[in-house]
Amino acid sequence: MTDEQYVVVRNDEEQYSIWPAGRTLPAGWHDAGFGGSKQECLDHIETVWTDMRPLSLRQGG
Amino acid sequence: MTTVTGKEWEAPAAFGQERIWLADQMDPGSPVFNLPCPFEITYVIEADAIEAALAALAERHEALRTSLRVVDGALRQVVHAEITPDIRVHDLRGLPEEERRARTLDHILSANSEPIPTDRAPMWRVVAVRTDDARWVVCFVVHHAVFDASSAVILQKEMARLCAAAAARAGEDGEPIAPAGLAGAAGLPELPIQYADFAAWQRDRIGDEATAGQVEYWRTRLAGLPAVHSLPTDRPRPARLGYAGDEIRFTVPEGVRERATALGRRSGATPFMVFLAAYVALLSRLSGEDDTVVGVTMSGRELPEVTGLIGMFVNQLVVRVDAGGDPTFADLLGRVRATLLDAMENGRVPFQAVVEAVAPQRDPGTQPLYQIGFNYIPDSGIEPIPYTTSKDDIAFDLTTGTSRLLYRTDLFDPETAEAFVARYLRVLDAGVADPATAIGDLPLVDGAERAALLAASTGEPLAPRAATALRMVEEQVARTPDAVAVVAGDRRLTYAELDEAAGRVAERLRGSGAGPESLVAVCAEPCLDLLPALLGVWKAGAGYVPVDPAYPADRVAYMLGDSGAGLVLTQKHLLDTVRKALRSGADSEVLAIDEPAEWPASSGTAGDASTPDAVAYVIYTSGSTGTPKGVAVEHGSVAAYLGWAGATYPGLAGQALLHSPISFDLTVTALFGPLTVGGSVRLAALDDEPVGDAAGLATFLKVTPSHLALLAALPDRVAPEADVVLGGEALPADAVAAFRRRHPGVAVINEYGPTEATVGCVLARVAPGEDLPVDRAGSVPIGRPAPGVAAYVLDGGLRPVPTGVVGELYVAGPQVTRGYLNRPGATAAAYLPCPFGPAGARMYRTGDLARRRADGILEYIGRADDQIKLHGYRIEPGEIETALRAQPGVRDAAVSVREDTVEGKRLVAYLVGEPEPASGAVTVDVDAVDGALTAALPAHMVPSAYVLLDTLPLTANGKLDHAALPAPVAAPGESEYVEPRTAAEELVAEVFAELLGVEKIGATDDFFELGGNSLLAIRAIARIRGQIEIDIPVRGLFSYTTVADLAAEIERRLSEDLDQLSDEDVERMLASEGDGTS
Repeated sequence: MTDEQYVVVRNDEEQYSIWPAGRTLPAGWHDAGFGGSKQECLDHIETVWTDMRPLSLRQGG
Repeated sequence: MTTVTGKEWEAPAAFGQERIWLADQMDPGSPVFNLPCPFEITYVIEADAIEAALAALAERHEALRTSLRVVDGALRQVVHAEITPDIRVHDLRGLPEEERRARTLDHILSANSEPIPTDRAPMWRVVAVRTDDARWVVCFVVHHAVFDASSAVILQKEMARLCAAAAARAGEDGEPIAPAGLAGAAGLPELPIQYADFAAWQRDRIGDEATAGQVEYWRTRLAGLPAVHSLPTDRPRPARLGYAGDEIRFTVPEGVRERATALGRRSGATPFMVFLAAYVALLSRLSGEDDTVVGVTMSGRELPEVTGLIGMFVNQLVVRVDAGGDPTFADLLGRVRATLLDAMENGRVPFQAVVEAVAPQRDPGTQPLYQIGFNYIPDSGIEPIPYTTSKDDIAFDLTTGTSRLLYRTDLFDPETAEAFVARYLRVLDAGVADPATAIGDLPLVDGAERAALLAASTGEPLAPRAATALRMVEEQVARTPDAVAVVAGDRRLTYAELDEAAGRVAERLRGSGAGPESLVAVCAEPCLDLLPALLGVWKAGAGYVPVDPAYPADRVAYMLGDSGAGLVLTQKHLLDTVRKALRSGADSEVLAIDEPAEWPASSGTAGDASTPDAVAYVIYTSGSTGTPKGVAVEHGSVAAYLGWAGATYPGLAGQALLHSPISFDLTVTALFGPLTVGGSVRLAALDDEPVGDAAGLATFLKVTPSHLALLAALPDRVAPEADVVLGGEALPADAVAAFRRRHPGVAVINEYGPTEATVGCVLARVAPGEDLPVDRAGSVPIGRPAPGVAAYVLDGGLRPVPTGVVGELYVAGPQVTRGYLNRPGATAAAYLPCPFGPAGARMYRTGDLARRRADGILEYIGRADDQIKLHGYRIEPGEIETALRAQPGVRDAAVSVREDTVEGKRLVAYLVGEPEPASGAVTVDVDAVDGALTAALPAHMVPSAYVLLDTLPLTANGKLDHAALPAPVAAPGESEYVEPRTAAEELVAEVFAELLGVEKIGATDDFFELGGNSLLAIRAIARIRGQIEIDIPVRGLFSYTTVADLAAEIERRLSEDLDQLSDEDVERMLASEGDGTS
C-alpha cells in the first residue's frame, strides 16, 4: 500500500529504521519524531543518519 | 397411468445440469455428485409399500425419471415414462443392535460411493434397511444433476406422506399396492410445472436484456480474476482434477453464533455475511492474497412455481472480495455485505453462463472461477453420511448444528484441514467479539502455537568463542604454528608464516593510515599472498573490500569509489588496471601484495586492533535493480558465523578448497573457517587438475547448486568423507541425489543466507546415509536457524504466520550486519526493529519467501518480489524444473517467464542434454519431454517453448543468470497457418472449422483462441467420437487445445486400443478400411 503511514524510529545505538504508524513499537526503540509515507521516512533518515557506526563504537573510538 | 414402455421425450438441459454434467466429465466415475438423502420410517410398513411410495414420487417429479444425453453436441434432458429403479432392501431384524447399526451404515456407504451414470434413468438408487418390525432406515442416493438441498426437504416431506398412504392402503386389501393415485391419497397437491418447463423458461430468459446486463456485470466484476486461489496446499495440484475428498466436522459454539447474529443485526447484515466475512479474512491471511474468491450457493428457486419441485435449481455465485488494506473486521463485513448483495442482484445468470462469459478456457486441473466454497444452511442438518469426495478444493457447510469442512485429499492433509477449522473459529470468535480489530490482527494461532513458533524460530545458543575472527585465527596460530595453513599450487605457508606475513602487511597499512573503520580494497586473484593480505588488514584494525579483478572496469571503478577505500591491495600484473579504474581525483595508495619490497620485515608489534563492532569487510551485492550496495559486516558477526561453522563442519579442520572469487561472501567459509580450527586453505579453481594423490582432495567444499553439474563432469574433487556445503540458490534435490550417489560418505549441507546476515544463517545438514529431505518444489529444505540465529516467517504486518503458511523470512541475532555502506535509507528499509528479540535489536528482511513445516524445518519458496504469475496462475519454477530434469536425456533445466516473445508472456523451458555415453552426441526429444510434462503438470505449468542449451548460463558467483537466457526463436511458421499433416489432424481441423465457423484451421490453431467454449468443446468431442470409434473424454479438449495436440492424443489412444486388440481384430479392421467405407 502506497498510502500506508510509517514513523521513523531509533534505538539506543542510534540506528534508524521505520515502523508502521500506530503499531506498538518493539522494546528499545523510540519514535524519532517524524512520520509519513515509507519513502518520506526513508528520505528523512537519509538526511539525519549521518554516521552509521553504532553509538558505542563512535564513543569508544 | 397410460404409458408406453420405452416412451421418452426430450428437452434442453438446464444450465445447472450442464455445469454438473461437465464437471462430472472431468473425473468420470467419481461419486462426487451423489447426494445422499436419508430418512427413517418408524411404523410397520412392508417393502412393497415403500417401493410404491417411491414410484408415486417419481411419477410426480419428472426429474426423478430423467437422464442426460448429448444430442447433436448439445446436452438434453430425456424424461422417461417408465423407469426401473435400483431399490436395495435389506432385512436386519433380529441382529444385535451394534451389528445392525454397522451393517446399515455399510449398505448406505456402499450405495453412496457407487457412481450414478447420467445417461440412464433414473439417476438415483435407494437403500432400505429394516432394523425392526416398526423401523426402516432409508437412504435415497441421487445425482446432483436432478436434485439439490431443497429437493431433499421436499423428498423427505412427500415420502413421509406417501409411505403413510401406501401403508394404509396395504391394510385395505391384500392386493399389490399400485402407485397410481397414492399422491392424491397422501393429500399432495398437483405440481404446476415440471423441471423441463423450468429449463425451457431459463433458456428463453438468457437472451433477454436484463440477463444480458447481468452477464455484463459478471464480465466486469470478474475481470482479471485469479485463476486459482493462493491458499497453500500440502501437495502440488495434479494435472487432472480429482474429487477424492474427506471431511472434518465441527460446531460453531452457540455463544459465537449469537454474537455473530447480533453483530449482523447491528450492521444490517445477515449471520451468513458475518460467517462469510470471517472466512474471507481467514483466506486472505492464509494465502497472503487480498483478492479473495469464494463460491456460494443460492437456492435458485425464486419462481413460486418451482417451490415444491424436485430438481436441480441451485446456482453458484462468485463472491470476490477485496480484503486489501488491512481493514477492520467491521469494514470487511461491510465489503462482504455489499459484494454479496450485488452478486445476488445479478444472480439470475446461471453460473455456467458466467463461466462461458468470463473464462471459457479452463485448465482441466482447476475448477473454473472459484475453488473455495462456502455454504450456509442454518436449518438443515448435515447428513450423518460421511463424504469421501469434495467438489471444491476446500468448502464449508455451516449450519446451526454440526458443520462440516470438505476438502480434496489430493491437495490437503487432514491436519491442515483441522488447523483450517480451528483458525476459522478463532478468527470468527475474535472478529465478532471486537469488530474494530484489523483483520491482520485477528489471531490465527493460539498462545501455545505462537510460543512454539517463536521457539522453532530460534537456533541453539551460540557456544562462546573469541570475539573476532582474527582472534580465533591467532589462537590457532598459537596452537599449531607449524601446521600448513595455506596452499596455492606448489607453495604453502604454515600458520606461523601466515601470521608473520600478516603482521608485516598490518604494520605497512597502519603506516599508511589504515585503522578501525577504515577500508582497504583488495583487488587480486586467488594467490598465496591473498590470506596474509586479508589478515593483515584485520590486524591493522581495518576492513577489506574484495573487488574481483575480472569485473568490468566500470564496476571496479564504481566499487573503489563507492567504498572510499584509501588503500588498494592488488597484484603486480593488475597495477595498471587498478590505477586506471581509480581514475582522476582519487589519491588512493595502490600496493602489490606479491611485491616483497613493499612489505618490509615486521617489528613484531603488529598486535590486533580488531574489535567486534568494527567493520571486517564490505561485500557488494549485485542486486537485480539499481547500483550494487556494499554490505558492511562487523567482526563480531563474522566471529559468530565462523564459531558455529567450525563446530558444524568437521571438514574445515582438513583441507578446504577455495575456488571462487572472494568478492562473494560464500567464500568466507573456506577462506577463514579452516584457519580457526587448524585446517588449511587450498586456492585452486574447481577444474584445476587436482594435485597428484588423495591428499589433494578437499575435505571441505562450498559451491552453489549450479556448480553441481560442473562437478559431475569432473574427476573427484572431494575426499570420501568431506563436508560439501551448498548455498546461494534453491537446492534441487535430484542434483544432490546424483552427487550423493557418487560420494556416499559425504555430508551435504544446504546453507541459506543473505550477505546481510553474514554468509549463512539457516542450514540443513544431511549426514551420509540419511534420507534426503525434499520439499514439494523438489528442493532440499533450508532447514533450521544456525546457532545464535533467529529466523522468523512473518506476514506483511510483521506477525508470525502459522505453520505451513508462506511468509517472508526475517533474520535476527549477532550475524545481522551493520547495514549498507553510506546508505542510511536503504539500511533503514531493510533492517527493521525486531519485536521478538532483545530490546533495541534489529532484524534483516531477506525478501525471501519461506514456510515453516510442522517439524520446524524451513522451506525456501522463492523471492518475494519475484513471484512468477502467468495468466493469473502462480508458477512454481522449481516444480517445473524438477519435472524437466526427471526426463530421460535431460541433465539440467531452468524455466523462465518471458515477455519478449511474439506471443506475449509465455513460459519457456531451457534444457541441457545429457551426452550419450557412446557417441557423446547431445539430443533431447523435446516432443517427448513436452508430452511427459503435459501428463504430469497442470496445464498452466507446461512450458510453451523449449530451448536447448549447451550449458545454463551462470553469473560470476555461480548462480543461474536469468538475464542471459536467450529468448526462444519462434518455430518456423508457429504463428502462421500450418497445413494439417496427418489424418487425425485433418479430422480435428475439420470438426473445429465446422463448429467455430472458421474456414481454414491449421495444425497449430487453438480451439479456445478461435472462440471455442465449453459447450462447443462438448460438441467437438461428440463429433469426433461420431466419426471414429474412440473413447476420448470431453476433458480431452481442455487438456489438448490445439489441433495438433488433440490429434496426437487421439492417435495415442487409437494405438493404445490397437495394442489391446487381437491380431484378428486388427485384420478385420484393416479389411473394413480397405472397403473404402470411410
